[in-house]
Amino acid sequence: MSSPFEGQLVRLRAREPGDAETVRRWMTDEDVLLYNTARYPRSMQTLIQRSTAAGDVSYYNARFAIVRKADGELIGDVFLQCEEPENRCAWLSMLIGLPEHRSQGYGTDALRTVVRFAFEQMNLQRVELEVFAENHRARTAYRKAGFVEEGVRRRAIFTHGRYHDQVMMALLRDEWEAAQQ
Amino acid sequence: MSAVDVPGNPLEGRLVRLVAREPSEVEAQRRWFNDPAVIRFMQLRYPASRAEQERYLARVGQPSFASAHFTVVRKDRAEPIGRVQLMRGRAEERRAELGVAIGEAQARGGGYGTDTVRAICRFGFEMMNLHRIELHVTADHEAAVHVYEKVGFVQEARLRDRLFKHGRYYDRLTMGLLRGELRW
Repeated sequence: MSSPFEGQLVRLRAREPGDAETVRRWMTDEDVLLYNTARYPRSMQTLIQRSTAAGDVSYYNARFAIVRKADGELIGDVFLQCEEPENRCAWLSMLIGLPEHRSQGYGTDALRTVVRFAFEQMNLQRVELEVFAENHRARTAYRKAGFVEEGVRRRAIFTHGRYHDQVMMALLRDEWEAAQQ
Repeated sequence: MSAVDVPGNPLEGRLVRLVAREPSEVEAQRRWFNDPAVIRFMQLRYPASRAEQERYLARVGQPSFASAHFTVVRKDRAEPIGRVQLMRGRAEERRAELGVAIGEAQARGGGYGTDTVRAICRFGFEMMNLHRIELHVTADHEAAVHVYEKVGFVQEARLRDRLFKHGRYYDRLTMGLLRGELRW
């Protein structure tokens, strides 16, 4: 049986305080800022506190660092946030931090791995997420992983001088299981 | 020309008035949210204790941009019939989330819900300077969906199997109302 944390190219691990410096570097990348609602700069102290707090990975706070298997380099962050266990639904957010790590299959692999974790380890029924309507690369990646577009929250986010639509997507357990056959 | 152009009370509808929540409503609040008919399509599942309701009322007592909670008072009888709120106000997005519950059975089906939703949306746009009001409703709750559509909310998304209650999954709808879309 394969490790629940391992994909083909990447591995998921708990976040560590030492990750903060890399995370800060991501938050200055143009593409990251373009499709992000984190508008205000974060101090190193905040980032360290956050990654330490997030170290306790649990059902309610399933936050992982994405590392490249080949060399262990930290390349991204993925988060499954589950508020009501009765609904067995988690909110997914994912980030591949630097341009040189995008469009190489790492994101797709990380997505596949975390979705498998959601259904096989956390026993969820539904994984949902939201993405900027203009972020076509991300929408394509989510669609490829089986996520279905469920609608558009009109003009829900304001950044960079204007309002943006947000596309809501979700993957249900049945759909994911059927796709594994 | 009149000396001062006094606008109408921004917290008053045709049938209802919205007022700040008070600790004295704890008994009514507890009754409403233990009524299976009231919470049938809501996220609530567990019984609400008096102590928890007291804490809640103390916390939401002063309406503000981040958390604008109100008691719905029926104008003709001056009695509380439910509660309504614009929650999770987001300053940069100028958006908030609407939640409404008409708790008193006698006040259901008489247009009080519609009037309440219109009154709070008007307050949201005209006094809080919101740009968007959104809400989540269980798709099977046809009466509520009808009210929201009547006042102008647009069904924007259908979240499949989003709520588990009464032994099954229900779809939840996301509905949105932008400034200028409110209908009278």
